[in-house]
Amino acid sequence: MNRDSALPPRSVFCFTTMWSIWKCYRSRLPVGAALCVFVLCWLYVFPVYRIPDQKEIVNDVLHQPVWRRNQTATTAFRRLLENCCETKRMFAVTQHNSPMGKNLWFDGEFLHSLSVNNEMFAMFPQDTPFQIPLKKCSVVGNGGILKRSACGDKIDKADFVMRCNLPPLSNEYARDVGHRTQLVTANPSIIKKRYQNLMWSRKAFVESMKVYGRSYIYMPGFSMKAGTEPSFRTYYTLSDVNANQTIIFANPDFLRNVQKFWKGKGVHAKRLSTGLFLVSVALGLCEEVTLYGFWPFSTDLEERTISHHYYDNVMPDTSYHAMPEEFLQLWLLHKSGILKIHVGKCGQIPM
Amino acid sequence: MGYSERSGKDILGNRSLFFIFISAFAIVTLLQHILNGKNYIKRYFELTEGSYDYNSSTCRELRNDITEVKVLSMVKQSELFERWRTLQLCKWELNKTEANTARLTNCCNAIQNFTVTQVNTALGANLTYDAQPKKQITITEDIFNLLPQEMPYSRSQFKKCAVVGNGGILKKSECGKEINSADFVFSCNLPPLSNEYARDVGHRTQLVTANPSIIKKRFQKLDKWRRPFVELLQVYENTSVVMPAFYNTRNTDVSLRVRYALDDFSAPQDLFYFHPRYLENVARFWGRQGVRAKRPSSGLMLVTAAMELCQEVHLYGFWGFPMDPSGIHITHHYYDNVKPRPGFHSMPNEIFTFLHMHSRGVLQVHTTPCR
Repeated sequence: MNRDSALPPRSVFCFTTMWSIWKCYRSRLPVGAALCVFVLCWLYVFPVYRIPDQKEIVNDVLHQPVWRRNQTATTAFRRLLENCCETKRMFAVTQHNSPMGKNLWFDGEFLHSLSVNNEMFAMFPQDTPFQIPLKKCSVVGNGGILKRSACGDKIDKADFVMRCNLPPLSNEYARDVGHRTQLVTANPSIIKKRYQNLMWSRKAFVESMKVYGRSYIYMPGFSMKAGTEPSFRTYYTLSDVNANQTIIFANPDFLRNVQKFWKGKGVHAKRLSTGLFLVSVALGLCEEVTLYGFWPFSTDLEERTISHHYYDNVMPDTSYHAMPEEFLQLWLLHKSGILKIHVGKCGQIPM
Repeated sequence: MGYSERSGKDILGNRSLFFIFISAFAIVTLLQHILNGKNYIKRYFELTEGSYDYNSSTCRELRNDITEVKVLSMVKQSELFERWRTLQLCKWELNKTEANTARLTNCCNAIQNFTVTQVNTALGANLTYDAQPKKQITITEDIFNLLPQEMPYSRSQFKKCAVVGNGGILKKSECGKEINSADFVFSCNLPPLSNEYARDVGHRTQLVTANPSIIKKRFQKLDKWRRPFVELLQVYENTSVVMPAFYNTRNTDVSLRVRYALDDFSAPQDLFYFHPRYLENVARFWGRQGVRAKRPSSGLMLVTAAMELCQEVHLYGFWGFPMDPSGIHITHHYYDNVKPRPGFHSMPNEIFTFLHMHSRGVLQVHTTPCR
């Protein structure tokens, strides 16, 4: 107080203004505003719309009329997707879309980037390595619904078969999931878990990759910091033994755009599942898309319990992916005739 | 004064005298050189290498000249070289008693302890790192399965062994044939054996050491590509590769990974890991002989092993000085001139000890071109 009285009048004026602002802050208005913002954020993160529950969806699936392709809707949707993500040009990291020195901003990390250097540049293919457009594509999920579905032949009939996360394709599954593969995604975490990051023996990995024949391995190497190293090591391993498989890296820009695209449609998850990324790629690259093994529920159409994957029953971390929401989106696409989801059985299985 | 008066010219003036002095000095020096040179030439012509018998009195003296030098710093390097050069006049012979005592005082039991095998190391045993005595590694099942069954060698199994160092002295030595004729060839640090060097270093080796630092530097710890490394090893056909995996903690992972890399490509080479106890014993043994260094070189390891495994040990390419015995500068390695980091090895000391052993008839050090 003593010091205040010693101040010149101008400063005193300043002080009083400050005091009044401080007082204003103590009123209820800003507190209410802050609360409001908080609630809005909350709603944004955890939206309060109702996802139809499993029974409704099953009912919907059962009472679906015969599926027919809707050409206009397909074209429209494809244009929408093309506008957002440019699948044909952008889905993989190529020398064309990622020239030397370009910063690849990781889509699964906060502000982390890697600039393309000489060594990385040599790993990338020159341009999108497929004959575009592809005609008929099968996208095969790993859902337990595929078990005893006998869909193998039907899947193999497509021109281009895409699979998720290095699924097992041994003979016992061939009848249900087919054996052809043109593109298979591989999560770096799998490399880390199953093959000790390829730090030690690599023979087992190379052997296990032979199932996929002459295919492309689509790795999200630039999504997470921890995933870059295993992806590169996978590349080195396969190039060491001149394997038939070719590694292509998912373009983080593409993944980010796809994620934004589906978020706009109402898929709220920390991260989209590989399946949805793959469906987006397929919708961008292929003329006809059929999905198999996409069924995120614990019972099938006849209410029998099914396993989580067709090959095992290991449950994932539930908070990470929002499978039912994603399925709902895909189901909407199915209903409007843009893609076809195969849920039931493809034929009879001899008991 | 008088001369100048008579001829009218100052013949022996200051300048002329100066000139005469200089010429005289030059002539004397020249004569000296010629005489000395003649001496050299004479010596060279009369006494070609190996012209004296091992047991002749001259040779005994010459050998004594070397052995009386107890410490390297006792004589000038040029003096040591001179003595070594004259010793070349004598034939070398294996001194069985000396060799045997050397072998008896040899500490290290290479037959059992040379490498870590499933026989001398039990599952679950702890190995202490040689360079980091406080650190231990437990032989887990994974590591145990990587270990070879047993060392396939026995005492004095081979008659004549060649231990080939990588010294620049091997360049243009044409010792390839002689080295190839040995029953067993040891070599150090994955040396290049390509055709351009085969004349000088031979084209085969049965046991080769590999330093993890090479693999770290040249092959990115085998983290990236592995094929180049396995292709490099193809030169050595089915040799045994020996690595100091348990020397310090930094070496372990890389060395174990080499095993996996060889398996990945089904390479025919065997892989062994130096036993840390063996490294320690060897260092102690040579320390007693006067070789004190931070770490003994891999050449030293091999010589020690060779002394146990072989009856006759011949060293090629071991010469740790920047010039050869006749004083001509040589490269550091026969394939390049990359100097190592100073302070790790004490090469001159090691070589000096070898020269001593040569004089005692324990092993033979080859420093002159082979014919």
